[in-house]
Amino acid sequence: MKTSKINDTRYLLPDDLTKKHFIETLKSYFSVKQIENTSENFSILETFEWNLYRHNILAVRHQNQSITLWNEENLFDDELSFEIEEINARDKFWWDFPDSEAKDILKPMIDLRALHPVYKGVLKIETLNLQNDDGKVLVFCQLISIYEPEKPRTPVMRQVSLSPVTGYGREYEQAVKLLASMQSFKPSLTPLDSLLGAIGLAPTPYTVKPVFKFPHTLSARSAVSSIITTMIEKQRLTEQGIVKDIDTEFLHHYRVAIRMVRAAIVQLREVFPAQDVSMLKQRFGDLARETNHLRDLDVFILDKQRYMDLLPESMKNDLLPMFDDFEKNRQVEAKRISRWIGSRAYRQEMDELQALFINGYSAVETQWSEKTTIELAVTKIQKTYTKIYKAALKINNTTPDEKIHDIRIDCKKLRYLLYFFGSEFKKKKIKVVANHLKSLQDKLGIFNDLTVQGDFLKNYLLQLEHKPKKDIMLIASLGGLISTLYTMQVQEREKCIKELSIFSNDSNRQLFKETFIINTKRK
Amino acid sequence: MKIIASYSIKGGVGKTAASVNLAYASAKAGNETLLVDLDPQGASSFYFRIGASKKENRGYFFSKKNRLLKQIRGSNYKRLDILPANLSFRNFDIMLNNMSKSKKRLKDILSSLENEYDLIILDCPPNINLLSENVFNAADMVLVPVIPTTLSERTYEQLLTFFKNNGYKRKIIHPFFSMAQSKNSLHHQSIADLEKRHPEFLKSIISFSTEIERMGIHREPVLAYASKKSYVQSYRTLFNEIVKILGKKK
Ligand SMILES: Nc1ncnc2c1ncn2[C@@H]1O[C@H](COP(=O)(O)OP(=O)(O)OP(=O)(O)O)[C@@H](O)[C@H]1O
Ligand SMILES: [Mg+2]
Repeated sequence: MKTSKINDTRYLLPDDLTKKHFIETLKSYFSVKQIENTSENFSILETFEWNLYRHNILAVRHQNQSITLWNEENLFDDELSFEIEEINARDKFWWDFPDSEAKDILKPMIDLRALHPVYKGVLKIETLNLQNDDGKVLVFCQLISIYEPEKPRTPVMRQVSLSPVTGYGREYEQAVKLLASMQSFKPSLTPLDSLLGAIGLAPTPYTVKPVFKFPHTLSARSAVSSIITTMIEKQRLTEQGIVKDIDTEFLHHYRVAIRMVRAAIVQLREVFPAQDVSMLKQRFGDLARETNHLRDLDVFILDKQRYMDLLPESMKNDLLPMFDDFEKNRQVEAKRISRWIGSRAYRQEMDELQALFINGYSAVETQWSEKTTIELAVTKIQKTYTKIYKAALKINNTTPDEKIHDIRIDCKKLRYLLYFFGSEFKKKKIKVVANHLKSLQDKLGIFNDLTVQGDFLKNYLLQLEHKPKKDIMLIASLGGLISTLYTMQVQEREKCIKELSIFSNDSNRQLFKETFIINTKRK
Repeated sequence: MKIIASYSIKGGVGKTAASVNLAYASAKAGNETLLVDLDPQGASSFYFRIGASKKENRGYFFSKKNRLLKQIRGSNYKRLDILPANLSFRNFDIMLNNMSKSKKRLKDILSSLENEYDLIILDCPPNINLLSENVFNAADMVLVPVIPTTLSERTYEQLLTFFKNNGYKRKIIHPFFSMAQSKNSLHHQSIADLEKRHPEFLKSIISFSTEIERMGIHREPVLAYASKKSYVQSYRTLFNEIVKILGKKK
């Protein structure tokens, strides 16, 4: 890590201050040396979740097909930037970029997310160092101007940054005074926030994970309506990304959101009339099922390298024809889904569903609809946990896989209940419970994924039978892969059994009893 | 923080030229860099348009950190600071002789700058004396410009002997060829011979060039006004080679 002594001061220049007057004012005390002057079309890159912004990073894409990353303390400092050179017009994922330090920085930050432009304009950077007559710099000074492409004369924003030169503190004070005399404005926001704010960008980081908090006395039905409304909103925010096929996370989050809606409908069904439940189940289920195939393909393609690495070196490439198939199928499927979500019929269906919940679901009263939210939460959570631990107690080495999968599904239900109602209980305890549950779910999840993957490959293999030309090596590598996945699955199964016995032990049961009670004081 | 000394027993071999350009390259690579001008003639301060301190600030250098910091001046480049030469430097030896721990004074005061800088470069005057021994104790690397002639070889070997006899680590010495003339066959011969006998020579070679000579007129590091020229770039190559070596050491 390099030492940083950044103590720049930034100022926004008032709109009516001319550049000429600005320079003249500085010249009243300093000689002004213009060292560098660049002006170019640029765009600011971000992900849908504003991952870079959340890490205090600005990414700029230049005209010449390169990208610069800046930490916000070093905005527009050429020497403290990270560059990605020679990118192609369509590169948008970290893995598309040539190897570089910048790529290593991006990788953990954006993960599966694509970078896309959130702002386009003209960026002008001028270095205007303030010197004495001997050519010694006394204060570093930089002027950043941003213009809209159509209006090259009136800048959207002009920002001056001054940084002191060691040993010339008095001169720095003088420069600060001169800027103040020009009615320049010193923003109190962070450098990145003030820059984005000045050009009219308001980062709204997206996350699919909901946070709920209900008034204690709220009726159960109102709470459930509000849960569903929130999740439908989250689902709909991903639609444009799927239509444009920006990255695979949009569809993933779309499905997560629907899954939570369905969980709320099915698990908390008692707040709705019975026939409404089956209607809602059907309609949201249809939305999810429509996207199953595309998601399966996405998951497989994303894991391409991992699958190849499971095979001996000499056989790795034999799998490639399969991935070519997947990629072709994916293109077709992605287009179909894009058209579907872009269609009027889809929009109508979503508008209708959304309208059902937005002001509270209206239907005849049911046994549970008017009880309090907390009653509903406690009853559901206790019941689900009891079911899990009873089933877990019966698990041993001869239990069929299906039983373990059933437990996994119940764990998932429990997890959703904690998402919905977690804030109704003591924070500290919820955290412990959630951690236990997560650890168990991770193991069960891997176990399940291996089963699903094995089945998917088997289906693909069977379908190869109908092809006129048989690729022996592909078939052999598939066989190898399926048996490797099976071996892994057997190992995972043991881990799951161990984890289940922890989850259902006495102290954990006690923990659940204590945590999920009515009348807890909220914290 | 690392400390590099640009040092040679011989005068006029390119110590200052190397210090100035390496310091510049370091700052441009994003390192907080301090160039310490230990030569009372103040050549490297001059290149950065910083006057030598006029007051004979006797003794400040080896005592208080705060007094030291006050002398530091920023250069015309971000992240590059200079501790200018001081006339009292002429009396370094007398001063040091009167102090306890007289060979570790420089090391102590420089290590107090640990949080301020990533790299400190010492531009040393020629000679071997008490000040140079302070330099050998402080530096992680002693960089020695060697003009490829037989005479220079002898001075270089004198330095090695001095290190051996006085218990300094020879490993920290890294010689490089300075002011090498590609058209001079004697230089070619010397380079070949020296590389054979002394494999510790760095790969980067600084050639003789009028562009480098003109630094005194420009009063800037040559990397700042002629960075595109290949023989100027070799300072940057030299810097990268040094960084690799320093990176390997703990
Ligand atoms: N590679 C080079 N090509 C041409 N001239 C050079 C080169 N390096 C240095 N010079 C010139 O040679 C002279 C001596 O160089 P420099 O001052 O760097 O040496 P020095 O070892 O620091 O000298 P001193 O012992 O006096 O401090 C200077 O005028 C400098 O401009
Ligand atoms: Mg010198």
